[in-house]
Amino acid sequence: MTKNEKKSLNQSLAEWKLFIYNPTTGEFLGRTAKSWGLILLFYLVFYGFLAALFSFTMWVMLQTLNDEVPKYRDQIPSPGSSSSPASVSQVTGTTGMHHHTHLIFVFLEEMGFHYIGQAGLDLLTSSDPPASASQSARITGLMVFPKPVTALEYTFSRSDPTSYAGYIEDLKKFLKPYTLEEQKNLTVCPDGALFEQKGPVYVACQFPISLLQACSGMNDPDFGYSQGNPCILVKMNRIIGLKPEGVPRIDCVSKNEDIPNVAVYPHNGMIDLKYFPYYGKKLHVGYLQPLVAVQVSFAPNNTGKEVTVECKIDGSANLKSQDDRDKFLGRVMFKITARA
Amino acid sequence: MHQKTPEIYSVELSGTKDIVKTDKGDGKEKYRGLKNNCLELKKKNHKEEFQKELHLDDHKLSNRELEEKYGTDIIMVYLGCVLGLVVILTGIFAYYQEAKSTNIMSSFNKMIPQQALVIRDSEKKTIPSEQLVVGDIVEVKGGDQIPADIRVLSSQGCRVDNSSLTGESEPQPRSSEFTHENPLETKNICFYSTTCLEGTVTGMVINTGDRTIIGHIASLASGVGNEKTPIAIEIEHFVHIVAGVAVSIGILFFIIAVSLKYQVLDSIIFLIGIIVANVPEGLLATVTVTLSLTAKRMAKKNCLVKNLEAVETLGSTSIICSDKTGTLTQNRMTVAHLWFDNQIFVADTSEDHSNQVFDQSSRTWASLSKIITLCNRAEFKPGQENVPIMKKAVIGDASETALLKFSEVILGDVMEIRKRNRKVAEIPFNSTNKFQLSIHEMDDPHGKRFLMVMKGAPERILEKCSTIMINGEEHPLDKSTAKTFHTAYMELGGLGERVLGFCHLYLPADEFPETYSFDIDAMNFPTSNLCFVGLLSMIDPPRSTVPDAVTKCRSAGIKVIMVTGDHPITAKAIAKSVGIISANSETVEDIAHRLNIAVEQVNKRDAKAAVVTGMELKDMSSEQLDEILANYQEIVFARTSPQQKLIIVEGCQRQDAVVAVTGDGVNDSPALKKADIGIAMGIAGSDAAKNAADMVLLDDNFASIVTGVEEGRLIFDNLKKTIAYSLTKNIAELCPFLIYIIVGLPLPIGTITILFIDLGTDIIPSIALAYEKAESDIMNRKPRHKNKDRLVNQPLAVYSYLHIGLMQALGAFLVYFTVYAQEGFLPRTLINLRVEWEKDYVNDLKDSYGQEWTRYQREYLEWTGYTAFFVGILVQQIADLIIRKTRRNSIFQQGLFRNKVIWVGITSQIIIGLILSYGLGSVTALSFTMLRAQYWFVAVPHAILIWVYDEVRKLFIRLYPGSWWDKNMYY
Repeated sequence: MTKNEKKSLNQSLAEWKLFIYNPTTGEFLGRTAKSWGLILLFYLVFYGFLAALFSFTMWVMLQTLNDEVPKYRDQIPSPGSSSSPASVSQVTGTTGMHHHTHLIFVFLEEMGFHYIGQAGLDLLTSSDPPASASQSARITGLMVFPKPVTALEYTFSRSDPTSYAGYIEDLKKFLKPYTLEEQKNLTVCPDGALFEQKGPVYVACQFPISLLQACSGMNDPDFGYSQGNPCILVKMNRIIGLKPEGVPRIDCVSKNEDIPNVAVYPHNGMIDLKYFPYYGKKLHVGYLQPLVAVQVSFAPNNTGKEVTVECKIDGSANLKSQDDRDKFLGRVMFKITARA
Repeated sequence: MHQKTPEIYSVELSGTKDIVKTDKGDGKEKYRGLKNNCLELKKKNHKEEFQKELHLDDHKLSNRELEEKYGTDIIMVYLGCVLGLVVILTGIFAYYQEAKSTNIMSSFNKMIPQQALVIRDSEKKTIPSEQLVVGDIVEVKGGDQIPADIRVLSSQGCRVDNSSLTGESEPQPRSSEFTHENPLETKNICFYSTTCLEGTVTGMVINTGDRTIIGHIASLASGVGNEKTPIAIEIEHFVHIVAGVAVSIGILFFIIAVSLKYQVLDSIIFLIGIIVANVPEGLLATVTVTLSLTAKRMAKKNCLVKNLEAVETLGSTSIICSDKTGTLTQNRMTVAHLWFDNQIFVADTSEDHSNQVFDQSSRTWASLSKIITLCNRAEFKPGQENVPIMKKAVIGDASETALLKFSEVILGDVMEIRKRNRKVAEIPFNSTNKFQLSIHEMDDPHGKRFLMVMKGAPERILEKCSTIMINGEEHPLDKSTAKTFHTAYMELGGLGERVLGFCHLYLPADEFPETYSFDIDAMNFPTSNLCFVGLLSMIDPPRSTVPDAVTKCRSAGIKVIMVTGDHPITAKAIAKSVGIISANSETVEDIAHRLNIAVEQVNKRDAKAAVVTGMELKDMSSEQLDEILANYQEIVFARTSPQQKLIIVEGCQRQDAVVAVTGDGVNDSPALKKADIGIAMGIAGSDAAKNAADMVLLDDNFASIVTGVEEGRLIFDNLKKTIAYSLTKNIAELCPFLIYIIVGLPLPIGTITILFIDLGTDIIPSIALAYEKAESDIMNRKPRHKNKDRLVNQPLAVYSYLHIGLMQALGAFLVYFTVYAQEGFLPRTLINLRVEWEKDYVNDLKDSYGQEWTRYQREYLEWTGYTAFFVGILVQQIADLIIRKTRRNSIFQQGLFRNKVIWVGITSQIIIGLILSYGLGSVTALSFTMLRAQYWFVAVPHAILIWVYDEVRKLFIRLYPGSWWDKNMYY
């Protein structure tokens, strides 16, 4: 039995050898040189053609896009479409969706798909965009700085500067565009109202970093970490065309009854409407979004305890702060632990 | 802490409720159930943690948060559950299909309890036959089954039907003399399970149960291992290919992932993803359904398939070893030829005898028919007025039955004729005098006289005659007439037919007045100087459909070999009449006879046909057998034992042939089992044969085999198409993972989504391909070579993977990129975005337009991407389905609408896609979202391209057969 197996092993080895190179037919891996040449040439041409075709279709697809505003914003929709800038209104909101004069559909129209395609589109555009029914108020996420690494937990020791050096560095990096020098070219905008612009040039409003008071880093380069009063910055996600209603502010509370001392800067966590709406990366160069700073004050007897802070958008009817699935939509929750 | 303890449970409860609540609108109950199960399991593991983290509000958490908290990816748990379910369900499904066809067979399996009459303690007792022991003396009478192997002690005119054991159609006389070395051929042994047709026999039990000849054969049959069916081998080969591709790509990318500094755990997840993408999960179910659909179709045509895989085996059959009796022949003696007036007449031997064309005007025929009618003890069983003559049950032996039916068909009511010609005396047939005689009163109104009629072995009959009737006139029997008689006798005997002679004598009225009392024992009547009337020969004739079926098998490249236990002469005669030995081919013996030389001098290469007997086979080495099987196109094996049938089948299998064996008898069952496909006869077949077979011909019609071959070949072609169809999308499912790993795009398609393609949208279309009609006349090509014409060959894999599959992947990527770009992420932004994209705490990821996305928003977009990719594959799979309708012909030659089921498949595909996207779009676990309608059309140009490309491929294949293109592109 074993003898047989050995023989068959040798045989199969010989077969493999013959398969790899067959000296009688000159075949290498089952093909002659000519055959290999032909097959490689074929695949070269075939794949070249496919690559060209794919590039072409991608190019056509990219032609359907607008440089300034994404074509659809199902996930981050702007609320309503009133008085947007002309260039933006084409593609923002629900009214803009009728303009499907795109190359892909030229393809389809030529192939007789026009009516199906158009009918399908009308069906969609006349009603809410897909998946947006429950999300009409879902607008913007909140994000905290220093940037969390693995989880929304900050741990530092006030006596050990290395434990918070990373946080401070991150905050400094984040606040760099907000320094006075960087903001030199920005406009000072009128407070308390939406700053709508008609273009073609869009200006960005100054955000005086002094508004963040103790957390501005101007007076205290340690952002309070060395005193056990760490600063956390909260920002709203940029959404093109977002126009908050009412008096939006960011409200932060401590979930821990022992340490209720949470200070918010600017006063009351106000977010001025002048920073809205945002017109997109290409048009709105230098745009700075408003920030809110949260300072948690740890009394010396509370060291080592963990504080959970929840920040929410408040005061604006169209900014949602509660969502079953997206826990960063209009709110953010983080934990801070200060050690001695 | 202690005070809060009761709350642990309340938290837990509300937690569960919350989860159920979030999933309301979840259409599928089973997923909810699954989810709960998974969570419950998890909960047990984490009970301790619950106690620690009491202050956290678990009931407020969503699934996602739960996942994060406990480190369990719910999606992964789903995936595990779903994959497990897939395996279990396909397993159950395959088992169910097999069990269903096995159940049909178990109904055949019922054994009727037998009784035996045994002499014990000097009294006759009836006991169940299994209680017989060796040494018992049993009595068996006509109509009973032989209860064990018995050595005959005494017999009175006993004849047994050995056809199921030896293949001899004629009843075999049994007596106490030892006549042959071979126990199967000697007269003094009756075999278990054969039937005693007439007479009585007393014998001693020499073997019981497993030690009987039948038992030996049965153990031989069960000892033959179940060979793998060709389709099982092909599917295994296919699985090797797929597994090889999947595992090697998986490992390659595992290495790449590790070297790209991915974590090992992530890399393992990639590995699993790649393997899932590469395995056509639905294929097993599809193949099973396809086979059972064909099995159903064949059952309608009276081929019952016991073993599903056997459906295809018949298609690849290259040699059919057919039993003679009952398979090729009707297993019923029938009058084939008549000889009177110095002429041979041919009788119609078809199943219904309807067309008797020989000359019936001669007065000799009138006399002959009278003898046939009167000198016959067989009778129809009562109560069969409405049954066609040929199907009526008869009491009597096979030859008498044949004569009875023959005369009934030609003359009408035989019983009435017999009534008019009352029988006054009779000597039944026995093996010593070899004739049968009866004396009848004539119904001749002119003068009552007696007619003596006699039939028997022709030479014995002739001895008793002094005159011969020619054209109704009696002529003296001289040497020349005797010679013509002998010539005719030899000729009919040479046809393998059983010949009977007939003579009569009108007893003179003066010597034998009406009141004369005939005494059988005293023989007070003349039995010589009779008048010879004619000869009649009988044969077990071939079924009328067989010659045509054999021709069709021939043209389909299938070699038909006859293997029988019957005499060589009979076997050869039947082989000639059904075309197994064609009209112009000769055996070595024929050539020797024609050239009048010794058999040894004949050049064996000149002979196309061969008749090999069991005795010759016994002395042959397997090399010699191989030589015979390879060199002769037309072979008949006669007088073979069950073991030899097995040897022949093995010999054929050594030639790399796929061997089908047909048979009905117990003696065939080992060969049926050994064969690649055993085909048993449903009506005539014994239970043993049916049990050993893979397929049962319910109408005993050999021609059904041809249908089976056709269906089998079609199913092979169609399976090829199905597999090509299923393999194609694997690349489109695989590429996303590869791109995801290398380029770092957000994952284009999720594993669950892949499963929905493999097990959802693609199942019905791939089954629909089973209904595809053949592209050309598949019965005119050679059977496929077992080891060369694979189900999944290199061109098929290459064309599916590297041509159509790649085009599909590109099309699907186009849809994916379109969705992302139109939502704000341009293709160049997506590159290497993966890490940031998947970070749970990055909630301000910037898109190409400066907008910032939270993790959930991104995830939702990712699911939209999955849906888009899914739709892209779906749309192109429709094109793939259409192009797979043919492998060589243009779709327009084949007809786009001829196979309606394809359109059912396409419709189902679209409907399932719509339901998944729009109906279940809100179910988080499925990762589907509602997709804008226009994205369904983005891949359409690619789909059209696929169709056009494939038409071009087929055009070149048709234009340049045998060319480089044909070799590389035809699968």
